[in-house]
Amino acid sequence: MSLENSPRFLNTAERYLRWTRWLLAPLYLIGALALWAAFVHAPTERVMGEVQRIFYFHVGAAWTGFLAFFVVFVAGIVYLVRRNLFWDELAASAAEIGVVFTTIVLTTGPIWARPIWNTWWPWGDPRVMTTLVLWLIYVAYLILRSSLAEGDRRARLAAVFGIIGFIDVPIVWISIRWWRTIHPVVITRTGARLAPEMLQAMLIAVAAFTLLFATLLFFRTAMRLQDNAAEELAQGVRERSG
Amino acid sequence: MKHIRLVWVLAAKDLRIEYRSRQAFLTTLFFAVLILIIFNFAFDPGSAATREASPGILWVALLFPGMIQLNRSFQSEMEEGTLQGIVLSPMDRGAFFLGKFLANVVFLVAIDTLILGAFIIFFNFAIESAFFWVFVTMIAGVIGFSAVGTVFAAMVSNLRIREVLLPILLLPIVVPIILAAVNATREVLIHQDFSTLGSWLQLLVAFDVIFVAAGFLVFDYVVGE
Repeated sequence: MSLENSPRFLNTAERYLRWTRWLLAPLYLIGALALWAAFVHAPTERVMGEVQRIFYFHVGAAWTGFLAFFVVFVAGIVYLVRRNLFWDELAASAAEIGVVFTTIVLTTGPIWARPIWNTWWPWGDPRVMTTLVLWLIYVAYLILRSSLAEGDRRARLAAVFGIIGFIDVPIVWISIRWWRTIHPVVITRTGARLAPEMLQAMLIAVAAFTLLFATLLFFRTAMRLQDNAAEELAQGVRERSG
Repeated sequence: MKHIRLVWVLAAKDLRIEYRSRQAFLTTLFFAVLILIIFNFAFDPGSAATREASPGILWVALLFPGMIQLNRSFQSEMEEGTLQGIVLSPMDRGAFFLGKFLANVVFLVAIDTLILGAFIIFFNFAIESAFFWVFVTMIAGVIGFSAVGTVFAAMVSNLRIREVLLPILLLPIVVPIILAAVNATREVLIHQDFSTLGSWLQLLVAFDVIFVAAGFLVFDYVVGE
């Protein structure tokens, strides 16, 4: 077996680790800024009180979660066209990070919803339910990966599942929205406008989470590429020593 | 034209095997009927609440046989080594998908029709025209379910944990089917309200078209190489 991937993978991993290091300082800076914006800069919401501040982290995590799953979808398509395992490692890393962020969304949501909507889990809300189904789909994606042996076949199947899962999302969204209009409406969304400071805090949080996502994605992909290269080298050594 | 014939040859092969053994069909049917009965023991039979929940019970009872059938559909191919034969033949992979998919649809529509009959009896429904629409909903649901399910069943066919992996992969994806089918059934059967039926059927047909096309396109990546 030739060392087809290792040199290229190690190079890319090296580059990604360098980028990760460069990203750390801006990440700490904007992270601190986001905390300040959410807890100091933004005013306390008049009706909801302090608990509303969770909103900034909730939205930031939600946006990055969706972005991560979109990366899984695109990387899956590129893998099927190019057949380069790099794209598979990228998709896997994005899926892991996406699941973590979606878990944050599904944890911060109930904490806010209990005092405000008087329910932990609003079963009729399309946003909540679509996020839940999304979370289920990508946890299934990770379980599928973990039950397959490393290699091209796993990459192919994961790519197919990632694509089918992403196509499903709009249909899930529509079906849940229709379901909700048929069900008695428990929750009415108060269309409260955001104060300018709140909007600023939200945008900073979104920027901070996006940067965090990019950093984690480079870091995790680098780890996976190195893992892949190490596996390939070990294989080569085993074959040579017979 | 050649493709259509190939699809039919494959589907006919699977259905002939099912027809000749019949054991799987009867066992799966027995299992589904058992679920309907157990639900009646678990809930208060004959009460208004159970009646309101009955469309959900029906669809859960239809999901289980579906899952079993999908898992079985590639199992015999694996055991007899025929999957390799089919993959090595110069047949279009899309046609392979359609053949498997068609066999699953026919098998499930047959079994689900009988389950629907058992449902009418156990839940004391009058045989009325609404059941025609429940039947149509069922067929639309089975098509989408089988389309995604055939792809996933092929994916997990040679894994040891396929029995549990298939539902884990499939159930989140078919959430729209479950929502549409249960709500359409409830509206026409319990509330005698046909106003939303059209929307739910549209959703099911959209799901069917999208995922039959997706299955046709991606099946090569799943079984190929």
